[in-house]
Amino acid sequence: MADSKQPRAPFAPWDRRELPGAFSVEDTARRVGQYKWIEMKLFEALGGWVATVPELDVKMRLGTHCYHHAWHAELWHKRLPELREMDPDRLTRPASPEVEAFMTALTEPGEHDQTIEKLVGVYRVLIPHKVAAYTYHRNNTSTITDAPTIRSLGFILQDEMEDWRDGTLMLTSLIQTEEEVRRAAEHQARLETLLVAAGGICGPGTIGDAYDLSGDPARATVA
Amino acid sequence: MKKLLSPDELARDDRFERAEMLDRIQDPRNGSPAANRGSGRLRPERADAPDAARALMHGIFVGEIQALEGAGRTCYDFEVGRSGKLGDDEVPFELKLDMARQCWDEARHCEISVKLSEWMGTEIGEFGENAFLFQAACNPDPVLRLTGVNRALEGLAIDVFNTMKEFGDLAGDPVLEFCEDWMLADEVTHVKMGSDWLRTLTATDKERQKRALEFQRVVDKLFSFGGFRGEDDDNPVQLARRFRELAGFDDGEMTEIAELSREAKAEVEERARLAREADATAAG
Repeated sequence: MADSKQPRAPFAPWDRRELPGAFSVEDTARRVGQYKWIEMKLFEALGGWVATVPELDVKMRLGTHCYHHAWHAELWHKRLPELREMDPDRLTRPASPEVEAFMTALTEPGEHDQTIEKLVGVYRVLIPHKVAAYTYHRNNTSTITDAPTIRSLGFILQDEMEDWRDGTLMLTSLIQTEEEVRRAAEHQARLETLLVAAGGICGPGTIGDAYDLSGDPARATVA
Repeated sequence: MKKLLSPDELARDDRFERAEMLDRIQDPRNGSPAANRGSGRLRPERADAPDAARALMHGIFVGEIQALEGAGRTCYDFEVGRSGKLGDDEVPFELKLDMARQCWDEARHCEISVKLSEWMGTEIGEFGENAFLFQAACNPDPVLRLTGVNRALEGLAIDVFNTMKEFGDLAGDPVLEFCEDWMLADEVTHVKMGSDWLRTLTATDKERQKRALEFQRVVDKLFSFGGFRGEDDDNPVQLARRFRELAGFDDGEMTEIAELSREAKAEVEERARLAREADATAAG
């Protein structure tokens, strides 16, 4: 081993973390409040659907996934005061009326024979959009100043990917006829249309703007 | 999706058979001499122990489904209110987080009990399901619902799991004993949640607390199933005082539950005596 008093670089050659990031404290708090609102609405719906789904394996998985999203909501709830938002309820809200309309449509199916619609909304539409929004956030925020958010995003993304896999397996096993393929696709298209109109789960700029050629992601973040 | 589901609206696949409480009580497997069934504490030496244990395990399984559904509905049925300014139909955010956690726990209990049922040689639907337990989860007042579900229903679960754990030990079934012990740990947590939230939500509203505790007494008496659960030697499911104490019950409350069970048993016996007299009169 070299002399322990020999100076070393504060950031080792393998540590490429950087300053700054694309999000200010205020941008981050606003976005985190929107995440918390989405996660809350999702875990409430999953909990409510448990009693309305006759398929036993799906019923039990929804109970498990309900907790995953409640835990995500809790992580975001605890992050808000750390971002100078001492009244977390103030920022716990949808990004826009369009996002609220999307979540209302997603949670609408309540009949026993609508398991496909329930699962399509969550696992084909909302969770892929959440993965996109969370990944964009993780990849663009400062890896040094905003490390706590990145840590939460990492845990949450792991859950989202596992839950998406579960949901896809359940849906694949449930969709067995041409009619069911059509039902699933039509419901997915209806919800996607609402979310496109909303600009994503955090409104316009949810995943930046791929057509912005300035090369500065900060210009295209939170609306 | 609508709010406040009734027990008739719970979704089930075709294997499940809904049975009314009366039908269940009159089920000949529940102790008729013709079926050579015994009564009293669930012990391996009872002639009917295998069937009684299988019936109880199936009851646990469907009870866990209803507990899962009840916790899930509490996540959905009530809006989150601001702390310090809660409306009567609102709950704190943290209470919903607890209910979501309970959803996960109950989902695991469903998975455990369906595997144990299979292990014990039972098929889903072999015994009837009544939606009696879910009724405790239908109250539109969140405090009363929480008291009914997390103190009465989950309290019953503590008693049942402790009884099954002891049965597993006596019967030399380490798998059963192991699983029941894990579920028992979760149920103590759920009852403690109920005890803590009841105290928190009614701290400044003693009238509401009184109503909630009265509701709990009614549900506890119903969940004694005419003496099925109690602390006398002839109660198949024994009141688990030690675990209830961990979950926030005091001695007085537990003694009251034991007394309610005796009352419920006496009422059932009186009804049976009157029915026998009526039959004898009718027969001339």
